[in-house]
Formats: sequence, structure tokens, C-alpha cells
Amino acid sequence: MTTEQVLRPGTGRDPGPGRYFEDFAVGQRFTSTYRTVTAEDLADFTRLSGDDHPLHAGPDGILQGPFGVAIAMGLLQGLGLHGSAVLGLVDTHWSYRRPMRVGDEVRLELAIVRCRRTRRGDRGIVTRHMALVDRDGVVVQDGTTSAMVAASGPGPDPVGLAFGTVPWGEALVGRLGPRFAESLASWDGAVGLRAGEHEVQLRIYRGKVIEVSGRAATGATFSLEADEPTWLELVTAPENEFTRFAMTGRFTTRGNGYEYLRLTAALHQIVDAARALAGEEA
Amino acid sequence: MIEASYIEIGGALAFVEQVGEGTPVLCLHTAGQSGVQWRHVSAGLAARGYRVIVPDLPGHGRSEPAPGGPVTDLGTYAAWCLELIDRLGLERPYVAGCSIGGKITLDLACRASDRLAGVVAMAADAWTGGRPSERGLRRELSDVAAASRTDRTHLGTLAVVGRSVPRDKAELIATMHRREDPAISTSDLIGWTTHDLRDALPGVTCPAHLVVGADDLWLDPDAVRWAAGRIPGARCTVLEGIGHYPMEEIDGFDAVLDGWLQELAAVEKAAS
Repeated sequence: MTTEQVLRPGTGRDPGPGRYFEDFAVGQRFTSTYRTVTAEDLADFTRLSGDDHPLHAGPDGILQGPFGVAIAMGLLQGLGLHGSAVLGLVDTHWSYRRPMRVGDEVRLELAIVRCRRTRRGDRGIVTRHMALVDRDGVVVQDGTTSAMVAASGPGPDPVGLAFGTVPWGEALVGRLGPRFAESLASWDGAVGLRAGEHEVQLRIYRGKVIEVSGRAATGATFSLEADEPTWLELVTAPENEFTRFAMTGRFTTRGNGYEYLRLTAALHQIVDAARALAGEEA
Repeated sequence: MIEASYIEIGGALAFVEQVGEGTPVLCLHTAGQSGVQWRHVSAGLAARGYRVIVPDLPGHGRSEPAPGGPVTDLGTYAAWCLELIDRLGLERPYVAGCSIGGKITLDLACRASDRLAGVVAMAADAWTGGRPSERGLRRELSDVAAASRTDRTHLGTLAVVGRSVPRDKAELIATMHRREDPAISTSDLIGWTTHDLRDALPGVTCPAHLVVGADDLWLDPDAVRWAAGRIPGARCTVLEGIGHYPMEEIDGFDAVLDGWLQELAAVEKAAS
């Protein structure tokens, strides 16, 4: 499922169409070469932005945050993934974790975390987790960016890693073991499974999932939530680490906290099913 | 052969296992659990020349409940251990404990260093910083607020057993941990989260060794190092691939503990 590629930035030639929507899959990983931050970068970026705050001045100046996004995009282009099939950038969510200074060397580590075809069907949004990582492996800046990419065909698309979607929820339900029904034999409610901004809700009555939808009639009893990279890590780890993730705050919940606790074992089984589904896709 | 006895301590009968002859070692269990956690250690340790004493703390295992109800102050357990040491006439014992047992061990070193040969405190820091929250734990004392308690203990134990431990062994540990009385375990955890030894640790004069598993989600190794740094001459060891229960997770733990105790003896000899 995952591929590791190292490509050189800045080849400058016509890339052709590059990858179409279908050529991207959740879990693909790519790594660029290192780029050194230069004094020229600092001077150019300060001039471009007009922000000459003392923080950004002098030889020890800190490169402004958006500089990281800018060079991340350059390093991404150097990976040779994108050509004319890319129709535009949709969004950027970015965190600045460490100051970036002249002389630093960073590379781009990219993972595809979400591929979602639009309603029109001839294109889709590809969300990429992008991290600028230094020589010591420390993440300096990271976040996600989404691009609209043209599709080469009409689909259908794989669902095994389409976290938080109805098709994913339906496929997951098909892989729940008999213990799930046993542990929820007296339960009545709905469980939301949320990845980033997208949620699917499983309406459960006496151990049976009676509906999978974007929103249950009376909403979710509680929702279990993490970003897409966290879901990806959870379903591809060597073992079911859900409790470890929950204990360390990597999953959060909203809604009825008591019912969340009550479903401790059932949630573990839901994650087992999500992992089985992901394993089939691999 | 392991000798079992019921001894009256603090107005209730305490269940105590003893095996072997030689330097006494008092072994303390974790929150809500019992001396059974030392079952793979005690005989082997005794064979290495120790008198091993494994009590069930009040309200745990086969010991009667504390007359005043579940204990929420680890200092109460420490005082109880000193009474046990008196009753058994133990001459300068070592103390080894884990989790709340580790913090009780540190407390004993703080209040009675002169009566101890040394301590091995596992999976314990000086203060948790108030985590988990005392308020949440007090809420959990009501059954109505403590949903799926045994599932959470089972999966929660599995989550803090080290990654080097074979899964069937981890499963055995987690299955046995389900035997707790929630009222006792939760009270133990209130003791765990409220017990602050930061100011007392510099007063410890007996040799001390603090041990923490790298995979222990309950503890930050840096906090354990910091605690060791507060105790004059104390050692700190971080165990790779091990979690919150070294004496249950490590095969041949009797040899490991024997090694640590011999180091403590060497430290004391060098000092005197």
C-alpha cells in the first residue's frame, strides 16, 4: 500500500499530466531531497512579505511561517507527482513547531491521507500530510494541503482507507465480529466515527447496526474523533493500539462520555474491523 | 516452600507470604492488585539468599479491608508497612515496589531511611502533577459513573504492558488484573495522584534505585529521572520494551532484582 520514493526537486521540464486522481491512494508516502535555507531566502522572503519585524531580521532571523509552506510546495513539485492534472490548491492547514533559520536543512515527508471524489465525478480532492523534517528527524513545520486533481475515469474508488465516509462505514460494519453484537446486545444509540471534518454514524440497536449514514436521525450518542493521519496510523500499526491512542489523547470524543466509556470493548472491536478492512486493501 | 499467614495489622488481618532466609526484601504490589503479581519472582529471589515478604495491602487480595474504609493516602500504606516490618521483626529490609507500591517504597525511604537497607522503586515518580484528576477518580467511586470498568482495566493494562512482552503473557497479566475491587483500585489511584514526595526526597539517606519502563504510558521517564536526581546518590534505570509492571513482564525478574539489590548493598558499603 505504501511506496517510498526519493526524487530530485526542480527538474524544470514539462511534467505532462502527472498523476490523476486515481493514481493517488491513502497511505502512499514520498520523500524529497534536503533543501538548505539560505540568507538569500531570508532577504527575499522579508522583502516579499514586507514584514520586517526584528524577529525576521539579521543573520539569526527566523524565517516567517509561510516560508515553510512555500518551500514545502516547491519540494512537492520536485517530487514529480503533479502535472497538468492538478486543477488547483484547495486548502492549507499548517503548524509551526520549530523556528526555521538560515543554514537549516529540511526535506519534505509527504503522506496521502485522504482521496475524495467530488459529486461531479470527474475530479477529486487529494489531501496530503506534509512535514518539513530536519536532519535529526525533528518535524519543524507540518500540516495538510489539499489539491483538486482531475480523474481519468468514473471510479469506483477504494473505500478501505476512506475514513469517516459512509462507504467506509458500511464496509467496516461488514467486518464486525460476533462479539460486537454480544457486547452491545442491550444497547441503543449511534456511534460517530470522525476523521478530520468528516463523520459517519453507525446507528446501533440491540447489537445490530441498523443504519450507516452521515447523520443518524437523532445524532450520535458520542463521536470518536482524530485527524486522518492518526486514523491511518491506527489501522496500519502492527497491532490494535486504540487504547494507547485514547490514553495519550490522540483520539478525542464529543457527546455522551459515559456511553463512550461503556462502549470501551465495542470500540476496540470497531477498530479491529477497520484494521481488517485496511489490511484487505493493502 | 512459600509460607502463608494472617497477621493482625492496624486492626485487620493482613495476608502475608514469606519464603526463604537471609536479607529481608519486602515486595509491594500495584493499585488494586495483590501479592500474586510477585508469584514468578519470590521463590527464585529466595533461592538467591533473601527472605522474601509479599503482603497484600489492606483491602487487596486476601487481606481484610482497612477498618476505616478504602485507603486514599499512600502514607497510610507506608505506615502499615512499617508496622508489618515491626511485627515480623525485619532487620533493615530492602523494599521493592511497583506503581503505588513504588511510591509507597519512596515514601518509606522518606520517612524511615535509617530502618531500611535500600529501596527499588519501580514505575513511580515524585508527584504525578495531579494526573489523573482526583475529581474524576472520586466520581468513579460511584459505580453509576464507572462504565465498563473491567473492560477498561483489561484493555488499559494491555496498553501499558511493554512492547517486548509476548502477547499471550500480556493477555495473562491483563486478565489477572481484572480481579480488582474497583472501590479499592480507585481509592489507590486517588492516593497515587495526590501523594507529593517532591520536598521529602532530598532527605532520603538509604541507597535508592528508581526504575521505569520506556513503554509505560502512566509515567514520563524524565519525571522519574528528576525524582532520582532529588535523592542523594540515587540511580535511575529506564527499561526499553517494558511497561508499567516490570516484575510481571520480565522473565527471570528475580535475577534482575537481585542484581539491583547487590548494587544497593555495594553503594551502602562504599558509603560506610
